[in-house]
Amino acid sequence: MVANIVRLKWQLLRNGLRRSTPQLVGLILSALYGLVVLAQGLAGLIALRFSSPSDVARITITVGGSAVTLGWALLPVIAYGIDETLDPARFATFAIPRRRLVVGLLLSSLVSVPAAVTTILALATVITWSRSSLAVLVAPLAAVVGVLTCVSLSRVTSTAFSAMSRSRRGKEVVSLLLLVIALGVAVASSSIIKRLSAPRLLAHVADVLGWTPLGLAWSAPADIVDGAIGTGLLRLALALAFLLVALVVWDFFLRGALENPRATSGGRAASTSDAGLGWFGRLPATPTGAVAARSITSWRQDPRYLSSGVLMLLLPLGLLVSPLTGGSSAWSLAMAPAAGFLLGWSTHNDIAYDGTAFWGHVATGVSGRADRLGRLAPTAMAGAVLLPLYAALACALTGRWSLWPAMLGLALGFLFTGFGVASVMSVLKPYPVPGPGENPFGAPPGSSALTIVVQAVAGTAVFVLNLPLLAFAMGALLGHVWMGWLSLGLAVILGSGALALGTRWGARIYERRAPELLADLARIR
Amino acid sequence: MSHRGVTAALSLRGLSKAYGSTLAVDRLDLDVPRGSFFGLVGPNGAGKTTTLSMSTGLLRPDTGTAHVLGHDVWSDPVHAKRLVGVLPDGLRLFDRLTGLQLICYSGLLRGMDRAVVTDRAHELLGALGLADAGGTLVVDYSAGMTKKISLACALIHAPRLLVLDEPFEAVDPISASTIREILEGYAASGGTVILSSHVMDLVQRLCDRVAIVAAGQIRAVGTLDEVRSGMTLEERFVQLVGGQTYVGEGLAWLRTSSD
Repeated sequence: MVANIVRLKWQLLRNGLRRSTPQLVGLILSALYGLVVLAQGLAGLIALRFSSPSDVARITITVGGSAVTLGWALLPVIAYGIDETLDPARFATFAIPRRRLVVGLLLSSLVSVPAAVTTILALATVITWSRSSLAVLVAPLAAVVGVLTCVSLSRVTSTAFSAMSRSRRGKEVVSLLLLVIALGVAVASSSIIKRLSAPRLLAHVADVLGWTPLGLAWSAPADIVDGAIGTGLLRLALALAFLLVALVVWDFFLRGALENPRATSGGRAASTSDAGLGWFGRLPATPTGAVAARSITSWRQDPRYLSSGVLMLLLPLGLLVSPLTGGSSAWSLAMAPAAGFLLGWSTHNDIAYDGTAFWGHVATGVSGRADRLGRLAPTAMAGAVLLPLYAALACALTGRWSLWPAMLGLALGFLFTGFGVASVMSVLKPYPVPGPGENPFGAPPGSSALTIVVQAVAGTAVFVLNLPLLAFAMGALLGHVWMGWLSLGLAVILGSGALALGTRWGARIYERRAPELLADLARIR
Repeated sequence: MSHRGVTAALSLRGLSKAYGSTLAVDRLDLDVPRGSFFGLVGPNGAGKTTTLSMSTGLLRPDTGTAHVLGHDVWSDPVHAKRLVGVLPDGLRLFDRLTGLQLICYSGLLRGMDRAVVTDRAHELLGALGLADAGGTLVVDYSAGMTKKISLACALIHAPRLLVLDEPFEAVDPISASTIREILEGYAASGGTVILSSHVMDLVQRLCDRVAIVAAGQIRAVGTLDEVRSGMTLEERFVQLVGGQTYVGEGLAWLRTSSD
């Protein structure tokens, strides 16, 4: 059964690639990138074999291994989502003992580029540790435990978060957890960076990490090499125990997904819309107003929007960590522009979230203008509230109120040009996103390269368009107050120009290829 | 209006669509007369959905034209789409909206007045037996309720032509009879309906005109009696489409009575 599940994954991957060339290109690109990482990592690990003292190897591998493990655990939440080809809910109808399913799904997760790279690098640590014969025996075991921990942690986070985000209460818990995790990581890393110059700091970090679940497996062989055989075996045993705990937790959430595969958002709509039309009654009764009301309702109802919305709020807030922990408050100045950039840029794949429900727009012959403009409503509303607030907050923290127009100007410039660029991008090349009701943290296999390319193109375009604004904001930062006001004025002119141009161009593309877009959306789902 | 003199509500000419090397629809011609209740039947993969999608502007044909009451769907989409109500098969809905919101959304997208849309939406919900479900998210609807709400979305702007792809699939008998009643009333008042279905019995009872499609081409078309030519629709269908396999003594292991 386990072999069957792994084979199924392999087959799905192959068939998926046969169907879509962009996906194949994506996989090749990520494989190439993986090869580069692999080559560098291998060279480093082999070099560590000959480093003396062996302490360097211990510190490097413990800290590096812990970072990789943490990355695997957080990746499904913060980045492109984990590969959900084998959605556990799809196995609900088959009578597969859950324990075998867990093992099968775990091993099948290894069939991916990042997992392959991690596995090879982990096994290469055997070379690093080949300083004693006992270490050569223990190191492969530790490597296997380490890799399996990585993979199962990523499954735990993704199933746990998707299980929780199904209910209204759970959504709130998820957003809170994300906030805590993000702030925690930010605080920890900023305080580490601050003390990086302190003597032997990394050694201390490695010591601590070596006794946390993240680093147990990675530091076990180091003890063996140093002759502390008891300690090493203890660490290995603890690492194994932690792996089992992770598997049990995963199994727990899996049971929920298997017993209730179609659970959705808890039945009732928000109390405001129970009475009637909700946002459809508040906004103007035009096609544009209707699209706007629909977008806002989706943002409120759909966990997929929620997860990206929360992250968008979190990233700018992360810039507050340094001032709040006693560091430089200058970082907080970037908060409003960063929020403006993210909000504007975030709409560049909006149409993909519709999925095939987009047919409603095609069949009713809604104008490109209404479709383009209406979709910007939720982010525009968020921007109207957040950007002046963030700019004011930054000024309060730095005590430089004269910078407010410059910060707000830059933020608005980013927001509006972002809208313009996104209005064109989202009708040009929608890339796959999880479908409604699917794991909001999942991602289709091989899609991440296309995702990265589209995101990078959109991001670069927004950035380049705002170069003149950036120059003026810099001037304001250096003390020329008039430049701040100029950048605010320029932002309004430049931004509304980019917005008008982008939505008009996007509308023209929309009207020319709405049916093709629908076909695209049907294919990437 | 310009379409007064036109006799066909839907007119397809030389419509073709290929997916890769597979020809889904092959130079298909079809006329659906005004006021008719038209049934499109065919085996799975015959090209029914592809044909209907190309007639409603959802899928661009490789060649050929589609006219709705004289308006070309592909060169004059604004006018054509105004006259058509669509219920597609296998496509999602904006299911995070409530039933009421979804119907209103379809109306507002078409630029209708909010008061008219709200009145009609409540009426439709009542007629379809969904009055209590108007405040429930569509994602929590059953298959039958989802079909009914889609039908409501297709009807909100009082179209002249209704294009329904498998409107009775996965619908329980009670919901099916509700849908049937509404469609019959619509047709009796002069509206034109074209629907695709696998259920021969239903098509036989409901439609006055039928076309049998196979391999992307029309095999037979005309009034129900012309197409049936003395047989039941099902017999005629199997005769025209063919390909029924003879099971005979195969699958012996499936006959558990031999235990």
